[in-house]
Order: sequence, then structure tokens, then C-alpha cells
Amino acid sequence: MERGYWIRSKPVYTSLVWHDKATSHLLVAQGDGGMAVLKIFQLMHPKQPITVLYACNLNSKDYAKTLKKVVPEGLQILNSEEDVLLTLNNILPNMSMGMRLYVAGSEGFIWAASECAKKFGIEDTDIMKELTGTLARSVYCVHCKATTHDITTNIGKCCGCERMLFVRDHFSRRLGAYMGLMVDAESPGILPEIEEIYP
Amino acid sequence: MSTIDVKVSAIEQVTPLVKHFTFVKEDGTVFPAFSGGSHVVISLNIGGRIHRNPYSLMGSPEDTSAYHISVRRQERSRGGSVYMHENVTVGMPFKITYPVNLFSLAKKARKHILIAGGIGITPFMSQIADLERLGADYELHYAFRAPEHGAFAERLKKTCGNKLHCYVDSLGERLDLSVLMGNQPLGTHLYVCGPNPMVVSVFEVARNFGWPENHIHSEQFLAPPIGEPFKIQLARSKKEILVPAEMSMLEAIEAAGVEADFLCRGGACGRCELQILETDGALLHNDHFLTDAEKASGKKIMPCVSRAKCERLLLDI
Repeated sequence: MERGYWIRSKPVYTSLVWHDKATSHLLVAQGDGGMAVLKIFQLMHPKQPITVLYACNLNSKDYAKTLKKVVPEGLQILNSEEDVLLTLNNILPNMSMGMRLYVAGSEGFIWAASECAKKFGIEDTDIMKELTGTLARSVYCVHCKATTHDITTNIGKCCGCERMLFVRDHFSRRLGAYMGLMVDAESPGILPEIEEIYP
Repeated sequence: MSTIDVKVSAIEQVTPLVKHFTFVKEDGTVFPAFSGGSHVVISLNIGGRIHRNPYSLMGSPEDTSAYHISVRRQERSRGGSVYMHENVTVGMPFKITYPVNLFSLAKKARKHILIAGGIGITPFMSQIADLERLGADYELHYAFRAPEHGAFAERLKKTCGNKLHCYVDSLGERLDLSVLMGNQPLGTHLYVCGPNPMVVSVFEVARNFGWPENHIHSEQFLAPPIGEPFKIQLARSKKEILVPAEMSMLEAIEAAGVEADFLCRGGACGRCELQILETDGALLHNDHFLTDAEKASGKKIMPCVSRAKCERLLLDI
């Protein structure tokens, strides 16, 4: 990639840090995001009410056991990422202004949680986000409009139209996906080398 | 900057200190549409000097046959409001700018809380028309000094019903910000317009209750303060100008025939920002736009409200 090149739409992820003025804390994590939750509890156990939703996934270590020891209250271990998002959707209506949301996990999970929070008026800039475990990208095909998940290479096959897509850095917060463009439109069948760059 | 030719069609004394002016277009056509929270800048020729003052439009955005503003008489100011109160009569012509909105409602908010102090009620008058039309969830908290100063309380009661909460200072009524902000649903946005101490305490309480910055909105137009005269140099126009005590830098630049960009003229929007190339003195920043770090850097200044104590201030204009 060209040095110094940067696209504004590309999300910035940080490490989870407590909002010291929050009136309550809601943490949602998936897979290796469990480690991010453990890390933030290493910093401090805040005084305000805490809720933590966690589900492990197949590719990650299961942090449930450790979380049960560390998280002082409000921990719910769920069976899947879908259950975490469903539970998030169910508890947000009972939350008030002053609650701060923290999300840790894969990029797909982060933006699925963000989309859920958006329905309740929480803007993604106000969510603390930590990317964990994998850089794998969801890719939105600009030709057939299908989204292909977990692409780890610079070029990936669209699950909808089977075109070979070049994975760009342009990111849609609404779709939680990067833009994918047919890579061999000018010279059908001639592909640049396919390399793993989002392991 | 393009302007609209208007004339005063009605003047009403609303409170002992507030007058309400209605403008129609000189050519009898309708005004441009605007959104709740917008303001216009009106040009006043006071003794040969042009004053340009921003005022919130307070009519309903659905009614473009007339524009409405309210002006509070400010005794210790440069005379714009006193002129409006004492010299402006029905039929007088004026030039106003097209409406600009620096205080718009957050479209994605699930609830709106509006907090007004005194004449700070004016931008909310048009916003409430928008909120009522949208059927949005809102509360209006309106604080004023004494019953006779509640400029629009009666009218608002009819529009807002039980969404209006009034706090009359002389009756010992106070708005408890902690109670208000401690228990609001997610997605609530807060808007405040009023005297500076009120705006500051609303921001402080909201932050202490964990509210994100982008859920707190304010609009404060400052009148350019009176200060000591100082000299400025304009690099691109190759001019040296004296900024008199009662004139802002922006007005002095305009009076020297140099075209400068502006929108609000009240230190809120940032449009008139100028780069400082050199100075030998201290900058007196009065705006709400620059961050503390930018103010400290000494590289930028808002000529609409800020001043300097210097002999040399070279500006990139």
C-alpha cells in the first residue's frame, strides 16, 4: 500500500478504556474480545453498574471461565454472537443516557453491535471499540450487492456473483463492510497475486 | 454575500425589554424556506456605520410569507439592539442575509430536551414548530427572571402544552439539571441557548452524567465586545487598519473595503477564521469556535468577536 495513504471512512479501533463519567457500563464481546474485557477489568473495577455480554466462537479461546471470576456483576455468558446481539437489543431499551457502550470482537461483530445500538440513538463515535482476533474483512460487492464475510486476502471471490473482488479500504459503517470491486474487469481472467493480508 | 431586501411590517413590544419584529420581502414574494434554529444577519446603518447583527428566526418554518425575530434591548452594548428598539419603525427597509442554521435539531435523536434562558428562547420557537410537525418527543425548559419577562410563555403553552416547563427566578423556581439529566432515555439530545453561566452549567452537568459531547448542543451569539483600539495589517490586500474601540476587527476590515467571509458574526460558526502571519502582542480570543489549543497556538483568530493588544497583527487576507 502507498505510504501515507489513508481513507477517512476506515474505522479506527482502540483499546477499551473506561469512560470515567459514565453512569453505567455495558460491555459486549465475542470470541477473542473476551481478552479485551479482561484487560479493561485489569485497569479498574468501576463503581457504576456493569453489564457484560459474552459469547466465545469456534476460532477463539473461550474466556467465559475467567470472566466469571473477574467480572464483579452483570455477566451473561451466551451461546453465540447472534444471542449476544439479541440480548443487547433486549436490554438497550432499559438503559438511560450516561450508559456507555464498549464492544470488542471481530470487525463484523463490532459493526453488527453498532447497528443495533444505532436503533436506540447511540452513534458509533460514542461506542468504544476494540478489534480482536482477526483482521478478516466483510466485503460488499458493488456489482451484485452481496456481502461476503471473513475475507483474509487482498482479492476474494464474491459469494453472490463469484466475481473476483479487489478488497478496498473504503468502509461502510451501515453495512459493516469494505467495498469490493471486480479486479479483472479490464482483462478477464488475469489476476494479480492473491495474498493473505487480513489474517 | 447575497442579501434579501425586506421591510418591517409589524413591531410588537413583547416584554419590557423585548421587541418582536416582523419582516416581509420588499418585492412581496415569499422568503426562502428555512429549518428550525436558523438565523439571519441584519445590516443596520447606525450613524453611517454598518452594524451586522445575527438574530434567530422565530417564526414557523412552514410560514415563509414573513420572517420573525425578537430583539432584547442590551444597554451596555454597541448600540445595535438599542437602535432596533428606538429607531426602527414599521415600513423601514433593511438588508438581511439568507438564513443559515448553526443550531439544527439532531435528526436521529429519539428525544429532544430544549433548555432556554431569557431571550435564548428565540431559536427554539422555530425548532418547536418543526418538532410539533414531526410529532417528536421533546421537553422545553424555559427559565426567565420574572413573570413579565417570560416573553413567549403564553404562546408556548398553547403550542407545547405539558411539554413546556417554566422556571420563574423571582418566584424562586429553579431548574434542577441533575434531576433532568440523570434519567433520560438513550438517544436523547440536549440543546441550550441562554446566558453564558447557564450554558456552562448545562454542559458541566451533562458531562458529569456521562453524556457524549455530540448529544449536547448550544448556540450563543456573542456581541463583539468593546475594547482598546489596535492596529492590524492585511498581507494580501496590503493595507494597515486601525480597529477602533467600538468596532470589531471584521467590521474594520469591511469598512476598509476588503471583502471578508462571514456567517454568524457571533463567534459561533468559524466561517470568518483568519490566519495570523505575525504579531507582536497578545490575542484576546472571545469566540466559542476555536479549541483552547488553537487559541493558545496564536495561529488563528475569529475577527468577528476577538481582539488583540498589539501594534502589529499581520493577517492573511
